[in-house]
Amino acid sequence: MTTTRWLLLWGALAVACAAGLALGPVALSLGDVVRALLGGGDSQAASIVRDLRLARVCLAVITGAGLGMSGAALQGTLRNTLAEPYLLGVSGGAAVGAVLAVVAGVTAAVALPVAAFVGAATAVGLVLVIARVASGRADPRILLMAGVVVGAFANAAIMVLLAGAGENTVRNALWWMMGSVSAAEWASLRWLALDALVAGAALVAVARDIDLLALGEDAAAGLGVRVATATRRIFLLSALLAAVTVAGAGLVGFVGLVVPAIARALGMRRARGLLVSSALIGATLVVAADVVARTARAPAELPLGAVTALVGVPFFLVRLRRAA
Amino acid sequence: MHQPSPREVTTPALTASVALLKPAATAPRVWRAVLAAIALGAMGCAAPARDHAAEGAPAGLVDDFGDTLRLSRAAQRVVSLNPVTSEAIYAIGAGDRLVGRTHFDGTPAAVKQVADVGNGLQPNVEAVLALRPDLVVLYAAEGNRAAAAALRRAGVQTLTLRTDRIADLSRALHALAVAVGNPAAAQPVVDSVRRSLDAARATPAHPPTVFFHVWDAPVITIGGGSYLDELATLVGARNVFGNLAQPSPQVTMESVAQRNPDFVLAGPTAAARLKTDPRWRAVPAVRDGRVLVVDTALVGRPGVRMGEAARSLRALLDSATRTKP
Repeated sequence: MTTTRWLLLWGALAVACAAGLALGPVALSLGDVVRALLGGGDSQAASIVRDLRLARVCLAVITGAGLGMSGAALQGTLRNTLAEPYLLGVSGGAAVGAVLAVVAGVTAAVALPVAAFVGAATAVGLVLVIARVASGRADPRILLMAGVVVGAFANAAIMVLLAGAGENTVRNALWWMMGSVSAAEWASLRWLALDALVAGAALVAVARDIDLLALGEDAAAGLGVRVATATRRIFLLSALLAAVTVAGAGLVGFVGLVVPAIARALGMRRARGLLVSSALIGATLVVAADVVARTARAPAELPLGAVTALVGVPFFLVRLRRAA
Repeated sequence: MHQPSPREVTTPALTASVALLKPAATAPRVWRAVLAAIALGAMGCAAPARDHAAEGAPAGLVDDFGDTLRLSRAAQRVVSLNPVTSEAIYAIGAGDRLVGRTHFDGTPAAVKQVADVGNGLQPNVEAVLALRPDLVVLYAAEGNRAAAAALRRAGVQTLTLRTDRIADLSRALHALAVAVGNPAAAQPVVDSVRRSLDAARATPAHPPTVFFHVWDAPVITIGGGSYLDELATLVGARNVFGNLAQPSPQVTMESVAQRNPDFVLAGPTAAARLKTDPRWRAVPAVRDGRVLVVDTALVGRPGVRMGEAARSLRALLDSATRTKP
């Protein structure tokens, strides 16, 4: 991949972020936006740009970058281009955590993300335990199947919880499951950004293992990789990264699946490049999708997960046709 | 069981709707709804009421699911799955016939003595049947269609009433009065509600603009022509999202900032949360402390206490407008 392509990826992200800051129901000039970002301007514009738009853009960047990286790492390690974080029980576990918090009537702003994160982490732990009990080693296929099983169980649990819940509870839970960055606010963004940075950096640090595992277990073992440990470590980091995004923005579908595919279509082959470019592409995609979500049907807001799927599905169909 | 007399339960507050025979103050849509309500009332309620009043055997009333009410005699055991109709049943003096209510019923206080059969939507049909009702009053939500059909199959008459807007109340009162075999009981309540609504009516030269905060994630407000929008208009305020057609539209926080209401109206819990949530600072009314705490249990319910609701809303706005810098 050439320097030009990297510049294009960074440029696209910059354009998307600028659009995210400049567009919205309140008409603000670029000058207003810049002044607000630099800490000046009138308090109304400053509040709209910093507390609403910038917070949303930041959460969208974390969500897109996290899901993109997580998908890239999993697809490489599990040697399956259909692998994605939500397939591994992360989304189901997070949803059970969030729905439990909603049903229990916890209203604190931090409760939902924390509950979602705990749910996701529990589900991932469960997947690892099931896979270990079933095969005694970190077989990618067994991991995928365990993820599907845990996901199905989580769905059943959600249905049971929501069947007995009131209208308001169902609305809260459904809204969360459709994904949105509208809840972005600085207090929680700091923690989400820190977690995402640490997990993302750790994944880049083990990029070589991902490359070697992609050659097959035997080849990787022959080249000195401790296959089971490395697989488990990558799996855990990817799942934590996805859990962070789910805690912040709910379920945003298709990003983890489609972003690594775009990165490969752009000529990315090595894990390090795939991870970083997936982060950039994912961030761009989700920031742009959020701009569409909050302007397409203003003053209402579309579910972010619906917009990303609308973008993701056509891209996937084109790729399928090319592959066939 | 001891119960207060129906008059004493309902008097101060009776509120509702047909009062809107003042087109100047209302939007064309409201006007059409009033005409529709009058037409429906003429077709559905008034005529049979006159025919059957003597023998107390209501029939021929067509409800909002298009079902025809066929009772061989006035309803004796009524389950009301809508707090508005439960209140109305007390108001027309038939509270002693109520054998089942929703979880959300609270007024008049006597209603708490009646069996609770859940949240009122998609009810558990068996639990309702266990109360041996001869009439079940349902709210006209699509989710209740299956229950209405099941109850009718089980031989229990259902009366499905929409109670979404000011004009709906008078029709509901007349229909309920017919069903309990006392058609004359409705009009005094309707009149009383109309009087108290009229007393709260205001047409200030510069109507204050308001934003109704109904829900936070997603942000949900009140659209045009719905009950709270009508109530705001009646007390001389303008709903900033009154141009939206849905009754409870979902909107973005920034669009609230853009429409820049003079006041934000919210329930007690939500109001406290708004004041501490940094995101809401983008809305000047929140930033400058113009969040008014609404008695949601009173104001949010388009029932016989809507006159009291209008009065409380007007008092809230009047005192806030006076102190507004």
